[in-house]
Amino acid sequence: MRRVMPFTIVTVTGLFMLVQYFIPREEFEWLYEWTLDWIIVIGCFAMLLGLWSMTYVSVSKVRRKIPGWGYNVITLAGLFFVLIVGFVPGQASLVRGSAFMHLFEYIYIPVQASMFSLLAFYIASAAYRAFRARTILATILLVSAIIIMLRLVPLGPLSAVNQWLANFILTVPNMAAKRAFWIGVGLGATATALKIMLGIERTYMGRD
Amino acid sequence: MHPSPDIGIWIGALLTLGIFSFLYGDNPYYKFCEALFVGVSAGHWFVTLFWTVFVAKLIRNVGIGLNTFITEGFSAGLSDYLHWSYIFGGVLGFLMLLRLFPKIGWISRWSLAFVVGTTSGYFFINYLVSNGLRQIEKSILSLGAEFWFGNLILVVGTFCGLIYFFFSKEHKGAFGGLARVGIWFLMITFGASFGYTVMSRMSLLIGRMDYLFGTWLGMIG
Amino acid sequence: MDRYSVKMRKLQAFVFFLLFSSIVIFPPDKAFAQEEAEMPASPTQVEASDTPNDNGHSITVKWKLSADDGAGKNNVVVYEVLRSDSPEGEFELRGMVPAGESVFEDQGAKDKQSPNYLPSHKQFYYKVRAKGDGIQSESLVSAPAYAYGQWFHTGKFPVFVAVIAFSAFALAFINLARKGKELYVRPLAGIEAVDEAIGRATEMGKPILYIIGLGSADMIATIASFTILSRVAKKTAEYQTPILIPCYDAVVMAVAQETVKAAYMEAGRPDIYKEENIFFLTSMQFAYVAGVNGIMLRERPATNFYLGKFYAESLILAETGSVAGSIQISGTDEIAQIPFFVAATDYTLIGEELYAASAYLGREPVLLGTLKGQDWGKAVVIISLILGAIAASLHFQFFLDLFRVQL
Repeated sequence: MRRVMPFTIVTVTGLFMLVQYFIPREEFEWLYEWTLDWIIVIGCFAMLLGLWSMTYVSVSKVRRKIPGWGYNVITLAGLFFVLIVGFVPGQASLVRGSAFMHLFEYIYIPVQASMFSLLAFYIASAAYRAFRARTILATILLVSAIIIMLRLVPLGPLSAVNQWLANFILTVPNMAAKRAFWIGVGLGATATALKIMLGIERTYMGRD
Repeated sequence: MHPSPDIGIWIGALLTLGIFSFLYGDNPYYKFCEALFVGVSAGHWFVTLFWTVFVAKLIRNVGIGLNTFITEGFSAGLSDYLHWSYIFGGVLGFLMLLRLFPKIGWISRWSLAFVVGTTSGYFFINYLVSNGLRQIEKSILSLGAEFWFGNLILVVGTFCGLIYFFFSKEHKGAFGGLARVGIWFLMITFGASFGYTVMSRMSLLIGRMDYLFGTWLGMIG
Repeated sequence: MDRYSVKMRKLQAFVFFLLFSSIVIFPPDKAFAQEEAEMPASPTQVEASDTPNDNGHSITVKWKLSADDGAGKNNVVVYEVLRSDSPEGEFELRGMVPAGESVFEDQGAKDKQSPNYLPSHKQFYYKVRAKGDGIQSESLVSAPAYAYGQWFHTGKFPVFVAVIAFSAFALAFINLARKGKELYVRPLAGIEAVDEAIGRATEMGKPILYIIGLGSADMIATIASFTILSRVAKKTAEYQTPILIPCYDAVVMAVAQETVKAAYMEAGRPDIYKEENIFFLTSMQFAYVAGVNGIMLRERPATNFYLGKFYAESLILAETGSVAGSIQISGTDEIAQIPFFVAATDYTLIGEELYAASAYLGREPVLLGTLKGQDWGKAVVIISLILGAIAASLHFQFFLDLFRVQL
């Protein structure tokens, strides 16, 4: 029961999702829509597990005075402060101008945007490493990247040529490789899904 | 210079500087910002999920569904079952919470199995259609048309790219040659992706500079 | 002239006067006569039938164009389609199509609460009205029709064939593998480096960091990552190397815990399994990245695995790991992130290689069998491409239609 039931559920639900694609009847449409909603609801309950995990790990580090435990206190303080500010006013906390939304605007958004903007620095360092043109592959990567990067930059008489090249690269070889990539991914993902549904791949499910 | 009087802008700016300090190296200022960010984001995510999914969908629909069941019983239409079908979703969700109790935690695998099974079935078809049949449909190109050269390169590139992803044969000889052409095409794509992204990443940095020097310090704009 | 003739003449004159005056006072309706002369011919042969390949809440109406549509008086602008649940009842407007079109799909909602609800198995009658500028004419009422759902969507037949074919390939090779046939797969650098990477972590006494990506458990790339995690976790259990798995999604965390625990049990080392090493961090993209960066710089893992669904944060993770001095093995099916992984990590599994990795690591015959099935699938695609190019060049439309899927 403990071992068989989960795999039975996997196979039955997997086969249902496969079969419902071909049956346009209303009953199957409803069941399909409910299934997607149930997954969202499961995710919602699982969030409680996530919060428990986060709290447990942080409290454990604080209790054992692991080096850097002070930062875990800050994490917990931030977490519970937001929870209080978000739950106490009720659904009104999601309205613009509420304390909850102010926290989002003044803490979350600036920090998120700053983390995102770090990419500008990292992309430069990654480009320096990747574009040293030591191999044919690195050279192709470098040349292609430069042509695309410069396509919006005014280059005088070379602009038209560069833009034509950039357009050609994007619409022809780029598209060809992307198609091959996507077809490969499609076959790989389909095979993985088949292995899961048929119970050939079982390692993701625990055992006692 | 006209610094903003808004305390929220000051908080945002100081946190921004804290994140940028990471470029120099790991330091207490960055660690503080990171810890706060992780805690606040997790809390924010949970609160939003609670009000928009748990209350607005689950509680509300279960309430409507129970009401429909009391008034109409089993004679309700399929669309009415939508409401109290959420009860089943709620049960599956509740089973997840049993993970917290070691002796009965194994029951939570049923909910996980539901998610994994549904995902597998859905993506089996989804990928076969979108990444398989649709790509084949679009890759079938006429070599006698006006843009025959572009079409020829598209067909050759797709062909060689697929050869590259073959697992059953080692990349040697003529087969290896075709696979090599395939990886060249892939490198062109990766280079194009790289080049495409650079400008947008730079604009993000410009946005942050505008926030610091414009919105916060009032030095520009 | 006699008296009778005079009287008759007076009578005729009076009747003539009456007629003349009535014409003057009550002139014949020139507008009506004119309008009648300008009315478009009615559409004919109106037929209503169930719309095929649907959920049973749609009826298709077809008719023969009015004779004055694009010909004759050429005064038809639009066709209106009307519906009633009885031939004598009140007809309501259901929609319009421009002149020249002779098909209309009366699509209803399946939700009873919707104002556009169209019940299935209920008879409806239709008529079509041809309209011009202030003029119109109606067809006769059609025979009754009702909507019903089909058991098979015929437009999806190519997909059905593809499902059967792919499954057959995969199952055939799985069968061959089970019979003990040796199945060769070419070496992949990223996979061959896994053992070395885990060994390095063991020697250095440092943990391994495994990032399942930013996908949720309902994404196939994440599931593929679980299958790889199982093999990696088994090796870490054998080498007694700690593995840290900060998770982006709570369901992913739960599945990862199950996967690693099972792997440790399979390795015979359930005693060293620590559930707190697989924990939830946050479900916001850059907050997760900030947290993982902190772990990388403080814990200094010897090896980082990035396997699953990644987005813009991939470069930040890979660069920080590089700064921390870790060996990094990455793999994703997001083509936009591959260049960053190629640039910043030591080994990258590109696209399909991510899905093949579990078979490579486990070397189980049945899994290698599915790899062979994938390869045969690619072979079919290649043949289709070549034949398709020839067919398209020679304008053989039937070949192109083989792959056309109706949704």
